[in-house]
Order: sequence, then structure tokens, then C-alpha cells
Amino acid sequence: MIDKRKIEKINSITKYYSTIGLLTALAVITNYSLIWIPNIKIMDLIVFISGYLYGILAGIIVGILGWMVYGSLNPYGFIPQIWIATMLCETLYGIIGGFIKIRSNIFIEDSNKFGKSILLGFIGFLTTLIYDIFTNIAYAYSFNLPFLYVMIFGLPFTITHEISNFILFMISLFPLIKVIKKLGGEK
Amino acid sequence: MSFLKNKWAIATLVLTFSTIIASSMSIYYYYQYSELLKKIQGVTIHVNLGINDGKTTKWFNGTAVKSGSSLLDVTMLVANVNYTIYPGMGALVESINEVKNAHPYYWMWWMSTPYGWIEGPIAADRYIVGDGETLFWYYENSSISPLPTPP
Repeated sequence: MIDKRKIEKINSITKYYSTIGLLTALAVITNYSLIWIPNIKIMDLIVFISGYLYGILAGIIVGILGWMVYGSLNPYGFIPQIWIATMLCETLYGIIGGFIKIRSNIFIEDSNKFGKSILLGFIGFLTTLIYDIFTNIAYAYSFNLPFLYVMIFGLPFTITHEISNFILFMISLFPLIKVIKKLGGEK
Repeated sequence: MSFLKNKWAIATLVLTFSTIIASSMSIYYYYQYSELLKKIQGVTIHVNLGINDGKTTKWFNGTAVKSGSSLLDVTMLVANVNYTIYPGMGALVESINEVKNAHPYYWMWWMSTPYGWIEGPIAADRYIVGDGETLFWYYENSSISPLPTPP
């Protein structure tokens, strides 16, 4: 006699891991497809969504795996210290996505979408700011350069990254999560 | 999420975002400017300087100076200048070629612009001259308002 509950559990685990795999693949593919625009990436948004929909651990896994692949086969070059730093920092998006799910009802209530969109954009911006500071520390350490020098001369890239994430999180996060939820894509 | 109902909360988020971005950009451009200034230090530029002592005008066209030089530096290259430094304000030119300030006559400096002569906005030692610029020292009656422009 086949245990139905056991099958359901196996199905659920399979669905969970295959979704993580799919989201990782999506994050990597979007990064490669946007390689010609430095520092404008959809990966951060995908990692955040992974964290929100499937929990902090899933967000961390997608963030690490995404950068593990993209960072090791990176046309801009491979530097181990920066690779590790970006892998770890990318998990921030997943952690914050998961944390928002636990602590807030931002995507549950359907009111004040404008305000929520601005807040999400701001969350994306702040997370990116922290991400950029940490990756710049790693860059400064790797090339033995003063941190302030790296920060200041990298500003055009970090500002692009922060503004693009502010806009991406503000415009697409709210509708994207709503759609995925409606399609049943949530743990 | 009740704080989001307050429009000031949203305005604060947007303002914080724009402030951080604007401050970052100003820091970046300040450092770029400083770096550029360092790089062009020592390049020779040419300035046209006129000096009118109230009677005659002498022109020193194409005076070669190092970039980063002030109007006072250029003037000292072509004339005998006496000046006093006032902390926080800069140098007050007391005399050029032995022609001294004597109330109400003072040495005033002017710069040529596409809109005509414009009175120097800062002290001569604080004004950094540009390549091809035309500047003028005019010994004139400062009690007349508006000040007479160079002849």
C-alpha cells in the first residue's frame, strides 16, 4: 500500500527544490542576457522573490547558487575574494525577502499600492546600498586599495545599481508577487 | 504598514533616496574635478590682461601662465603689485605700478564675457584664470554707482 502522505511530502520537496533550481537558472540567465548593461540586473529581484515566496533559506540558496555559476563563468573575470563576497552579499536580498514575509502583510492587503511600491523600491535601494558597500570592501581588500578610493570611483556603477533596483523593486515586485501567488507558486 | 497611509512618510522615503543619490554624485564629481585639476596643473595657458591706471591702458595679450594660476599671479608677472591679504576674504590690491588706492579711487578688476564686462566677483588671488580669458584692472572712482565699465 502506497502511503499518500509520503508521496505528497516527496512531491512537495521535489517541487521546492525544482523551483529553487528554476529561480537560480532564471537569475543566472537574466544576468548573462543583461551583461552588456553593467550593474543593471534582475537577479537581485529574483533572489528577493525567492526569499519572499519560499522562505529565507530558499532566498539564500538562490543567491549563493546564482552567483556561484555567474561569478565563476564571468566575462568580466574571476577573482575568488570578490566571488565569495558577492555570493554572500547576494543572500541579503533573499534574507530580506523572507524577513518581510514573516514580519509584514505588505503583499496581503490590497490597499495603498502606491505607498507600498515606494516602500519596496526603498527596501531594494537600501539593500543594494549595503550590498555595494560590502562588495566594495571586498574589492578594496582584493586589490589592496583604500576603501574610500574604491567607493568614490565606483560611484557611477553603484548609483546605477541602486537607482535601477529602486525602480525595479518599485515597479515590478508588487504585481510579480501577486501573479506568482495567484498561479499557486508559493510554499 | 499603517505608516504608509501618511503621505509624509512616503515623501521622506523618496527624499532620503534622492538625498543619498545626490550626495553620492556630488562627492564623485568633486573628486573627479580635483583629479582633473591635478592633472592639468602645469599646462601653459594664455590670458589677455589689460591695465588702466586712469590715464592710459596697457594690454598684455597672450600672457603665458601655468593653469591653476590666479589673476593676482598673472598681474604680478606683468606689473609691480602691492597687496594686503585679508583672512577669509583674499587679497586687496593696494597698488599697481606705483599707482596706489586713494579714496574714492581703487583698483577694481573686470572680466570680459559674451554679455560684456562683468565686475570681478571675488578677490584677485582667488580667481583662477582660464585659457584665452580677457581680464582688466581698472583704477576707477568707486563712489560712482553703478561702477563705470572699462573703456
